[in-house]
Amino acid sequence: MNTNNNLYTVIYTTVIVVIVAALLAFVSQSLKAKQDANEKAETISQMLTSAQYGTKAELDKLGNAAKLDKYAEEIAEAFVIDLDGNRIKDLSIDRNDLEVYSPKQLKRQNYNIKGGANKTGDPELPVFVFKNGRTVVPIYGAGLWGPIWGYISFDTDLKTVSGAYFDHESETAGLGAKIKDDPSFQQEFVGEVADFGSANVFEIVKGGAPKDAEGKSAIDNKIDAISGATMTSQGLDAAIDTWLSAYAKYFLGAAPAEHKHCGKCQEEGHEGCENHNCEEE
Amino acid sequence: MNAKLKETILNPIFKGNPITVLVLGICSSLAVTVTLKGALVMALSVIVVCGISSLILSLLRNTIPGRVRIIVQLVVVAMMVILVDQVLKSFEATYAIDKQLSVYIGLIITNCIVMGRIEAFALGNKPWPSFLDGVANGAGYGLILIIVAFFRELLGSGTLFGVDILNWLGYVPNNLVILPPFALILLGCIVWVQRSIQKDLQEK
Repeated sequence: MNTNNNLYTVIYTTVIVVIVAALLAFVSQSLKAKQDANEKAETISQMLTSAQYGTKAELDKLGNAAKLDKYAEEIAEAFVIDLDGNRIKDLSIDRNDLEVYSPKQLKRQNYNIKGGANKTGDPELPVFVFKNGRTVVPIYGAGLWGPIWGYISFDTDLKTVSGAYFDHESETAGLGAKIKDDPSFQQEFVGEVADFGSANVFEIVKGGAPKDAEGKSAIDNKIDAISGATMTSQGLDAAIDTWLSAYAKYFLGAAPAEHKHCGKCQEEGHEGCENHNCEEE
Repeated sequence: MNAKLKETILNPIFKGNPITVLVLGICSSLAVTVTLKGALVMALSVIVVCGISSLILSLLRNTIPGRVRIIVQLVVVAMMVILVDQVLKSFEATYAIDKQLSVYIGLIITNCIVMGRIEAFALGNKPWPSFLDGVANGAGYGLILIIVAFFRELLGSGTLFGVDILNWLGYVPNNLVILPPFALILLGCIVWVQRSIQKDLQEK
């Protein structure tokens, strides 16, 4: 048989490609459920890391089922808010039907927050409140080579960071990949205070964040960038600012009011004064 | 088993090792040898991709149009790589390793060993020897990967397969060993050892 004539070549390549495409589509569909389950467990372990239920390495030692158990045990409530901070729906926290936002879903919401041609609807922003009082929210954006995302947890005052975890798809190993691999970078966020009023909720700065008298990072909204990973640092900065600005109204609205003068508070007959910390008076 | 088949299997493991003699697949051998677990998964993936791609292309070898043979090879190898990646992502035990190896599983397609063996062997030989040749070359690659990873994990983290071996003795892990340059130094040492055993490889 002459395998070199044009018609044969065209038909041959077409048939091969169609067969391969069909096979891959079939395999991808049949394995999807398992892959999604793995991804869900991974997302949950990242959120638990951010909410300070252990380091990522410790949580990774648990199996998928144990991660889901721990999350179901520790989650207090999970819901979705809109840009004005209004609660629009609840997410299931039932052990057998846990609803979390995977990076794929975050990507869709990222388009919705930023607007433009890829927008599919109004932003739906998930909020996860854990029983230890931490509120975890996701962020998502573009790094140098691919998407980056992460989870930031806030203390009960809803502005002090209590933990952060970042992940990426394909940042450079040893440089940009440090947002995930270097726990000390994630640790830098802890104790910093978000500035929800401004467009720069957190600022990742080159050349060192301001230090306090003891040489520790001062309590502000500035974090040291990663050396040699300018683009990834800038991408992370933009991702954090975009997402946390979208959450700003919720965080500002839901934060406990600062009644420093409890006496005055009670005189004026405000509700709930007795619950506030009056020691500073 | 006849002598020729035996040679097909044994040659790539030592005498004609794809990494130390042909110097192929160096990039990924630097990248994935930080832990033994990662190296083992990578080695198995390459064995599967190399063996099955060689088998499929050897079966098709008389029907492939000469002018597009590289493209047909590429399609088959890419399919195998995606299948391996999808399977690794589906199992709880391998999901974390797949995440750790990240792009390197997908980059098996750019590993010269796979295409090299198909072009040099599978297209001119019967399916069974081609399959064995693919598997043996994958194994030769994997063997070096595992030797390098053994030293890098032991000296770089003080562990083997994540089990503490040296740390409890007060060993301080050497960070240089974790970095890719050290893998290149180790590879150089392996080549040195092999050449002092196998004198015919030495240049005059």
